[in-house]
Amino acid sequence: MTRPYWTSAWRVFDLSVGEMLWSRRTVFMALVVGLPVVVAVIVRVLDVFGIAALRVNGQAMGGTSLFGLMLWLLFLRFAVPVLAVFYGTALIADEVDDRTLTYLFTRPIPRGSVLIGKYFAYLACTALVVLPGVMLTYFLLTPVAQIGATFVSLLIDLGILAAGLTAYGALFALVGAWFRRPLVVAPAFVFGWESVVLLLPGSLKQLTVAYYLQGLVPHAMPADGGITALLQGLVTDVPSTAASLGALAAITVGALWLATREVERREYVLPQ
Amino acid sequence: MTPIVTAVHLSKWYGQVSGLNDITVTIPPGITGLLGPNGAGKSTFMKLITGQLRPSQGQLSVMGEPAWGNPDLYRRMGFCPEQDAFYERMTGLEWVTALVRLSGYGEDEARQAARDALAVVDLLPVADRKIGAYSKGMRQRVKLAQALAHQPGLVVLDEPLTGMDPLMRRSTIRAIRQWAKQGRHVIVSSHILHEVEAMTSNILLINNGRIVADGDVHQIRDLLDMHPHTVSLRAAEPRLLARHLLREDGVLSLRLSGEYLVVETQRPDAFYARVTALAASGEAGTIAAIESTDDNLQAVFRYLVKA
Repeated sequence: MTRPYWTSAWRVFDLSVGEMLWSRRTVFMALVVGLPVVVAVIVRVLDVFGIAALRVNGQAMGGTSLFGLMLWLLFLRFAVPVLAVFYGTALIADEVDDRTLTYLFTRPIPRGSVLIGKYFAYLACTALVVLPGVMLTYFLLTPVAQIGATFVSLLIDLGILAAGLTAYGALFALVGAWFRRPLVVAPAFVFGWESVVLLLPGSLKQLTVAYYLQGLVPHAMPADGGITALLQGLVTDVPSTAASLGALAAITVGALWLATREVERREYVLPQ
Repeated sequence: MTPIVTAVHLSKWYGQVSGLNDITVTIPPGITGLLGPNGAGKSTFMKLITGQLRPSQGQLSVMGEPAWGNPDLYRRMGFCPEQDAFYERMTGLEWVTALVRLSGYGEDEARQAARDALAVVDLLPVADRKIGAYSKGMRQRVKLAQALAHQPGLVVLDEPLTGMDPLMRRSTIRAIRQWAKQGRHVIVSSHILHEVEAMTSNILLINNGRIVADGDVHQIRDLLDMHPHTVSLRAAEPRLLARHLLREDGVLSLRLSGEYLVVETQRPDAFYARVTALAASGEAGTIAAIESTDDNLQAVFRYLVKA
């Protein structure tokens, strides 16, 4: 009998996570996540000198609101999808390029469990880099006096980011399994399709991941002045939290199921 | 005897390119050498046997079972691929242990099995060193270790001696013969007849995706001996090595090329034995690697195809 599916996936995770974490890609990931942190540092320095980094309607934006804005614009709409594109599409492709897939596919484990194990390795790696980056940004931007009151919302924000990494990662694992040029298709989806469709009226936006993440953000965002109202005004047409979570779960499970089916079926010819 | 591998009208295409072309063959128990020039179809056949590729046409059974999409079969198989590819940041012991765990072993027994396999290929002293720091010969041996560690009944080795020094070649050939004596079946590919001949007399000759001949090696060997054999030796002191080999019977020419000494010989058996002896004694300096192009094998194949 072959090993149970999840045991096999766990062992592939164990084998892959170290390699993934200490790869060149992690340096890239640190740079992507470092950008919001650098912005937060600049805002903090300006704040020390009494300069407001951003004003809305003449009103200086508070640190908490600024963090909410950065969470949406820099993390959820930029860092998370970019990381998911580069890691998710490469779950199997990296093993093909490195010609190490042979060692995994000649073992008595279902091929699909290789993809699942590597997907969880991706989640662990990105969470290990992204979530501390978010926390650092939060502590840089949030006034000390407000930390106690807003800490729960930080935990919710971290949960939203984890949901984003989970759903986008699964979707791009599928893109990586299906398409010969996933690094063309996946960015086109995030920065083309999603960006355009989210601005259009109608139901097309339901065919995006961002729509459901957007559904989580306004509920989680603390009410802190004009920028929150601005953001909430931009994203009025949002699903409920429950609907968003259900849709993200469905996207994740569905995409992973399709991706594992493809990996089970497909022949991989390694470069010589 | 029940064949280990049975292929019936087996073909494999990569798009428009043919990898294997309508082969019908059985591979008996014991050691079988798969001999052919680069690009002949040896690796394709081995990837089909190990379930990495799906036949385009025909049937293939390995130990009585289909190979494609049959993970249970892979527990009884070990595969040493040709490519020099690893998880470079892992140590030899970590890597082999991790792969043995994928074969269903628990952590402790996997570690012990890995240690045992690394001992078989003489890598135990460097088991805790990162693979990225291994020499070419060590990398070949750690690949062999992962193929053996889970005690498979069938071991498939794709060009396992590439990059090894003469002494390591000799000990690896001995080890492969020993595995067969222990009841394992071995399918080993090479483009060098003398390597294969040292392991078995049962040979499949493959060229252009077709089985050209199979059976006993001796007739093929006679043909090969009609063609000069070119060998490249990477040596610390190539000039000193050249002086030693100049006196050998059958050596037709010697050429220095950087750290390489390229030798053309009419008597490859005697030549390989002499090089191994020189490597063991160290009297001609360190011989780091011995490589043979397949030009001479190509000549034999041209002859066979014409015949």
